[in-house]
Amino acid sequence: MAETILEIQHLKTYFYNNGKELRASDDLSYEVHKGECVAIIGESGSGKTVEALSILRLIPYPPGLIMGGRILFHGQDLLAMSDEELKQIRGSKISMIFQEASTALNPVMTIGKQIAESLRIHKGMKKKEALDKAVELLARVDIPNPEQRVKQYPHEFSGGMQQRAMIAMAMSCSPELLIADEPTTALDVTVQAQVLEQLNLLRQESDTALIIITHNLGVVARYADTVKIMYGGKIVESGTPYDIFERPHHPYTIGLVRAVPRLDLPRSHGLHTIPGEPPDMSQIPENSCAFAGRCKYAGERCRTARPALEPVGEGHFCACFHMDQTKEEREALV
Amino acid sequence: MSKVRIQPRSDKPVTTADLPIDNKMKEMLDQRIQQQEPVRHDLDQPVMRNLPLLTVSGLKMHFPVRKGLFGRQVGSVKAVDGVSFQIKKGETLGIVGESGSGKSTVGNCIMRNCQPTAGKINYNGREITAMTKAELRQLRQELQMITQNPYASLNPRMTVHEIIMEGPQIHHTAGDEAQQLETSAQMLELVGLNPSFSNRYPHEFSGGQRQRISIARALAMNPAFIVCDEIVSALDVSIQAQIVGLMMKLQEELGLTYIFIGHDLSVVRHLSNNVAVMYLGKLMELTSSDELYEHPLHPYTQALISAAPIPNPTVDRARERILLRGDLPSPINPPKGCNFCTRCKYANQRCREEDPPFIDVGNNHFVACHQVKGGA
Repeated sequence: MAETILEIQHLKTYFYNNGKELRASDDLSYEVHKGECVAIIGESGSGKTVEALSILRLIPYPPGLIMGGRILFHGQDLLAMSDEELKQIRGSKISMIFQEASTALNPVMTIGKQIAESLRIHKGMKKKEALDKAVELLARVDIPNPEQRVKQYPHEFSGGMQQRAMIAMAMSCSPELLIADEPTTALDVTVQAQVLEQLNLLRQESDTALIIITHNLGVVARYADTVKIMYGGKIVESGTPYDIFERPHHPYTIGLVRAVPRLDLPRSHGLHTIPGEPPDMSQIPENSCAFAGRCKYAGERCRTARPALEPVGEGHFCACFHMDQTKEEREALV
Repeated sequence: MSKVRIQPRSDKPVTTADLPIDNKMKEMLDQRIQQQEPVRHDLDQPVMRNLPLLTVSGLKMHFPVRKGLFGRQVGSVKAVDGVSFQIKKGETLGIVGESGSGKSTVGNCIMRNCQPTAGKINYNGREITAMTKAELRQLRQELQMITQNPYASLNPRMTVHEIIMEGPQIHHTAGDEAQQLETSAQMLELVGLNPSFSNRYPHEFSGGQRQRISIARALAMNPAFIVCDEIVSALDVSIQAQIVGLMMKLQEELGLTYIFIGHDLSVVRHLSNNVAVMYLGKLMELTSSDELYEHPLHPYTQALISAAPIPNPTVDRARERILLRGDLPSPINPPKGCNFCTRCKYANQRCREEDPPFIDVGNNHFVACHQVKGGA
């Protein structure tokens, strides 16, 4: 395995609102290796975005607070750094692509200036030099007429082009780690495919590690090396895409995989549904499995103890007391 | 149904004259070519067989673009530009397309939320485009619409009971208070919600539950036909599957007919008997759901299918991906010829000049492309 560049240990990010404690990231641990593509999948409110924002310490305080854990980037704890030190890393060694490019871009600044900004700050480039580099970067993400485009404002770009400009911006300082939070959610499928392909190409060219956060299972099947399924602020299953989609062990993962209509199967294949709704995270008792309320296998133990991630295969982990019972359902998967 | 014969699809007529085979063989082949000759349907005529509940023909919706002090019309957005299809009773037609393809406008035209520029919409023998306000009011008891955003479509100041019963009250079909309470409780139960929720307000519900309330509101009118406009797009995967399942169950129990509009091909296909693919205001392809995946003929449909991710790494990684370049052109100024020619890898001179007709290639499969040979 390649060198570990990011190591998250027991990350706890909690929110305090109206006297309630909400454990958005509840004791999360995982590693990211050089050039690896890690996909984090979860439904809305599962804590996947909070977890990503915690890495760069972008959690608004109040109400959010990182209560514990360590985030080691090349052995250095990002949580223990001063703001000045962190600024050196943000945007240069670790950069981020936000969910909605149209709101993340500054509407009163030209695209070129926005891309040049981080080059000037982190690489100390002169204005002219940085703008030339911006043209080059836009060309790399397949934006036609980059010379004209750098002088334009975000509203003159289509949604797909805005997202590609965001990618260009994030890649400008050749980061070692790129965090992409729902990078394709607002885009049409054909544009989504373009953007994903682009992202993957850039990752391979520069050996950048990528954390991709999404609710779309299909998106990750193709590109991810490791997939982590989040539910109620915790990782419930982790493994290669083959482990997750073809031999999932956790009842939630199985439910999720079976809830997505498959284009490649005949219409009659039927859609499985998970009963109930994702829980209100402030209502989950601390010592219980977050999925217990919707799980058909749940027993007394699930409500009084919290299952830990246990290995079920090489590099494949699952947190469930009843994973032996899911065998039948797992084998029924196509 | 009038059928207009057209020339064989290639630039040169297909002949057997210069083939190195004997005359008898030539005769047989000629016959074969004759039989396979594609049939072009006039756009004003219905394009699918059997008695339909809804027939849309040559539907056009052009929105004016105005500019300047006096609001001079400087152009028009051709949101829908000549769309024809039919839906049989109890079936679902799916309409897929990217944003800006005009799929929602088709739904709005059927509901007469906007007055179409041209074309006919025939519902059960009645012409929707020519109806008066009073007739429309009658019609909308049978035709209901469910919209995408359940956060915007429910009045936050009304209780669930009031939301569900508003329609029947307006149409004086609600009955007395006891009956009304019974109806709303029944509707809630039908969509899988607890009847005791009827005194609550929309903000107390999650997105999936709100969408169920929207469905209950539509069902309270006892409709025969529902236009579902992106009803699962804003929902999480597990909730999406629940709503899709609910819609299928309701269709079976109540014999409903749906138009299901969406951008996610896999969801739309799952629910629909037939799927229409729209691009820039025009239909590109229309066929049965299974045929669409197994034999997509239009290059745009092929790209759409290949871009739709399949949640299985073994299958998805083995597939070849067709990447389209660029974005959807502006519907104010669509390209000359075929609408898709700017992004199509097969486009030639003819595609850039001539608008391809929407033809039947057999087996209830309709496609608008110069590159697709008839009888495929």
